[in-house]
Amino acid sequence: MTFWQTLGAVLLTILIAFISGLFYMGIRRKVIARIQNRYGPPLHQNFLDVMKLWSKESNIHHGIMQHLAPLWMIAMGVSTLLFIPIVYNSTFWANFTFKGDLILLLYLMVFGSLGFALGAGQTGNPNSAIGVTRGLSQMVGFEIPWVMALIAVMIQYKTTSLTDLVAWQQQHHTWIAFQQPFAFLAALLVIPAMFRYSPYDIVIAPSELASGPPSEFGGKYMGLMMSSGSIFMFAKLALIVDIFLGGATSWLWMIIKTLSLYMIPVLWSAINPRYRTEQAIWSLWRWPLIFAVLGLIIASV
Amino acid sequence: MNYVLNDRESAKIVEFIKNFARKNSLWVLAYGTGCGAIEIPPTMTSRYDAERFSVRGAATPRQADVLLITGYLSVKTLKRVIRSYEQMQDPKYVIGFGSCTINGGMYWDSYNTIKQLDLYIPVDVYINGCMPRPEAVLAGFAKLQELIGRGQANGWRHYKENLEWYRQNQRKLIKNWKMPDYNW
Amino acid sequence: MNTLVLLLILFFGGGLITYFAYKISKIIGDILIALIGLTGAYLFFQIDIHSLVSIKLAGLRLGLGFNGFSWIFGLLVAILSPLALIYSIPYMKGRERLEWFYMLFLFVIGAMFGILMARDWVSLFVFWEIMTWSSYLIVIYSRGKGLDKVGLKYIFFSAVGAYSLLTAIVLIGATIKSLYIGDLINFFGVLSLKNQLLIGILLIIGFGVKAAVMPLHVWAPDAYSSAPMSFTSLFSGAMSKMGIYGLILVVINMYLNHGISSVGHWLAWFGAITAVMGTFYAIIQDDAKKLLAWSSVAQLGYIVTGIGVGTKLAVFAAIFLALLHGAFKGTLFMAVGAVERQAGTTKFSELRALIRKMPYTFISTLIAVIALAGIPPIAGFIGKWMLYESLITDGHVWLVVLLFLASTAGFLYSYRILFGLFLGQEEDDYKDVKEAPVLMTIPMLLMALFLVVAGTLPGFVFKPIAQSMEALGFADITYQMSILTNSWGDMVDMTYVAMALGVTFVVFLIVITLVNRRGTRYVTTKDIHTAGEPPSEDDNYHFALDFFKPFERAIAPVFKYSMTRIYNVIGRGVEDFFQFVRRFYTGNAQTYALYVVIFFAILLLLAKQIF
Repeated sequence: MTFWQTLGAVLLTILIAFISGLFYMGIRRKVIARIQNRYGPPLHQNFLDVMKLWSKESNIHHGIMQHLAPLWMIAMGVSTLLFIPIVYNSTFWANFTFKGDLILLLYLMVFGSLGFALGAGQTGNPNSAIGVTRGLSQMVGFEIPWVMALIAVMIQYKTTSLTDLVAWQQQHHTWIAFQQPFAFLAALLVIPAMFRYSPYDIVIAPSELASGPPSEFGGKYMGLMMSSGSIFMFAKLALIVDIFLGGATSWLWMIIKTLSLYMIPVLWSAINPRYRTEQAIWSLWRWPLIFAVLGLIIASV
Repeated sequence: MNYVLNDRESAKIVEFIKNFARKNSLWVLAYGTGCGAIEIPPTMTSRYDAERFSVRGAATPRQADVLLITGYLSVKTLKRVIRSYEQMQDPKYVIGFGSCTINGGMYWDSYNTIKQLDLYIPVDVYINGCMPRPEAVLAGFAKLQELIGRGQANGWRHYKENLEWYRQNQRKLIKNWKMPDYNW
Repeated sequence: MNTLVLLLILFFGGGLITYFAYKISKIIGDILIALIGLTGAYLFFQIDIHSLVSIKLAGLRLGLGFNGFSWIFGLLVAILSPLALIYSIPYMKGRERLEWFYMLFLFVIGAMFGILMARDWVSLFVFWEIMTWSSYLIVIYSRGKGLDKVGLKYIFFSAVGAYSLLTAIVLIGATIKSLYIGDLINFFGVLSLKNQLLIGILLIIGFGVKAAVMPLHVWAPDAYSSAPMSFTSLFSGAMSKMGIYGLILVVINMYLNHGISSVGHWLAWFGAITAVMGTFYAIIQDDAKKLLAWSSVAQLGYIVTGIGVGTKLAVFAAIFLALLHGAFKGTLFMAVGAVERQAGTTKFSELRALIRKMPYTFISTLIAVIALAGIPPIAGFIGKWMLYESLITDGHVWLVVLLFLASTAGFLYSYRILFGLFLGQEEDDYKDVKEAPVLMTIPMLLMALFLVVAGTLPGFVFKPIAQSMEALGFADITYQMSILTNSWGDMVDMTYVAMALGVTFVVFLIVITLVNRRGTRYVTTKDIHTAGEPPSEDDNYHFALDFFKPFERAIAPVFKYSMTRIYNVIGRGVEDFFQFVRRFYTGNAQTYALYVVIFFAILLLLAKQIF
């Protein structure tokens, strides 16, 4: 692998993740529209939105941290993606997958949200700060069952490396979801909270907080946010697919698996109202936590 | 291939792409103090589904492209509308909704409503009627999209260029003018 | 003269000279303390690690000298103390009784070096007490309201620690007839189990007070936040590490090297619970100083957990975190001190949006907070990573979950520091706030720079730690410049992390700055979306009160149990008991006569059994 090949693979990975992430969001809008008995926007609507946001002719910011805010997000999205194995056993698509492990990913995944929270804080809009406090509180809520599920997997297979987990599943022709059903169930239940979809959309809460943290973001800042959001969303889905659903042997499989996984939070969110913050935390500390504890007990004995 | 795009042509193409994106992604800030606000929910929800025309709501002026003035504006609310409008990012469009925004409508002789929205902020598309039905609203959006596509929805530019004139009109009505200064 | 003695003379003699220097002129004193601090650091690096000074005093063999393991903590003191002293010069300007403050400050530094040098329990105890009393006097130096109570709490817990330390030392002297630390470590295996447990636990209590382990942490938040911030940066950054040093001595050298791991595991649980509770209490504070003080308690909990688990990677992580904690908590206390000096308060409910006024303070706070939260690519992540990996590979799953809870909840207060002090809507009250003086910002920025460099190239820090680990008795310490490895063979390459984050960040920074550059403009924080309502001059929509109220509500059951409350209950119980006892002494001669009669009656009744 020469430097240029690696660079090419990295750029292609980012591009594919970006495009499929935006399409997934379009599919989500379409699916929700169909559930609500509407026709819905075209699938490529989000591309138009991003293009429009980038083509805005005036942009405002309230200071340097707001100017930098979407950059933390995109840095997080891209680096998370690069440390996640996409295609099993491929040297071309390996990216940085041998250079990091699950604990690194867990911490990388909060890098952007916290950086963005700083930008949201600098706008001076109280809605932004309220949204951030809600988001952080909810993060404590879902991180505990999520981390417990991951630890259950890690100690069962004696590895913290994603590549090893994927390899194990591919070699044994099974999914960890079947081997560790409780951990998988816990992870499944926290996915809506990770994506901040209903009933866990307490951060954005458009009718309550005027879209919360990004309420002062418009134009190119919002555009970069949407782009990084799509990349990060794909990365998160790929991560869960790698851990629990056996990874993928090709891009096509990865896209099929991530898209089907994505339908779970989408369908769940389409029929749910919104929790209050403490309700969200409690709900995450009830069933998901119970399943995670069971998974952990099974894995550790 | 010895055909090279010159600056003007390439600018034209870029402008065309930009306008195509802009017209197909309208995020609406609905200013709903008038009675016309009641027409917005059916327009947006399942019955008429404005989202299939790429029209969706925005939560704050910073994210919005279209300011939808639904009905009459009193002197008091005009100030808020101006502030919201100026907080929006260029290019931005205004749709005057209902007869009240055109000539005062049924409030034509009221002492505290404004008669002609055009004098205070630039309106790109008017939708007349009292009330205009959701079909009319959608038609209004379609008209706006057509104008944007042709590059003719330039109210925001007009506002910038004639800020003095607009400010004069605005200050005539709003006596306690306490607005932050904008540096553009 | 030997460098070791010179180092001690420098600080203790220098302390006395400083006292008179400040009496003569403030400027001479200022220059003097900066010189003493820097000379101390210079002397420290001249010390030969094998040099030893031994004295025979009244039949006792006393010794002074670093070993490979205590040297690493000496490094922390040697680097942090000159920075804290230099920072202190502008920070303490204009305060009264400076001569007193600086004398004690230098005594504390000298005593810390003394503790690390002490090769026998007697000199360790003497220096320990000098450190405790000097720091106690600094804690009550400000003479603020309610400070007597804070001081009392501190000195009470320190006294408990000192007595158990003293008891342990007497026991050691009685059982192995030698007060050399090395002798105890060598002969520890020979002792009976009862003695092993008794000596060890007494020592753990003694050192645990300074390390603020859970039931003994009560003094820490108040004491940390009451002392002047220039001292607290050292107090929390380096002085608490003396407790950690002692704990490592006990848990690793005594117990683990003689095959007893259960004491350490219990300690690890105490550490993890300390981390969780410290974090929860940090979240609900309204004062930045208090928040940082509680966060210190929490961070020390991580370190104690690492020590308690006692595997190679865990201890490595604990020492790494101890060093880092010195750096980032030192920076944070300094930054909060800078804010206090420039803006007059450290309350989140009063401060607003200092970022544009104090940019350098903000940058150093930002980096220190990222290190505190453990987010890559700053160095804090490396410590956290090693700690988690060691716990996971060793099967301590529930400890990991507790620590993860603590560190995720840690994001809440991390954000609170940054938002409460530097972000939010600007207010005219703080219009004239200026950046802190250069002498204050430079120490902070230097430490922040260290955190950034150590995040990508941690090998520089690993090298001395690996040496100290070998001195502790761990074999085969391998480390690489920027690659972290756990015992399962999984690894993280920090250069790739830094590269992925850095390159993306820079590329998009260029993009977002250049795209539509003319149309991008700065607007004030008053120009926000407020549903159209223009805020008037005196309106401020800053959100600061009850910042994490929903989270507080969610974890409300936890707050029912507070150690302070339990101590209060015990204290009240003891008080009630003595009140009851006091009633016997009525002062009436007839009652006393009655007691005598009753006493004899009982004697008569029991006479058969007794005789």
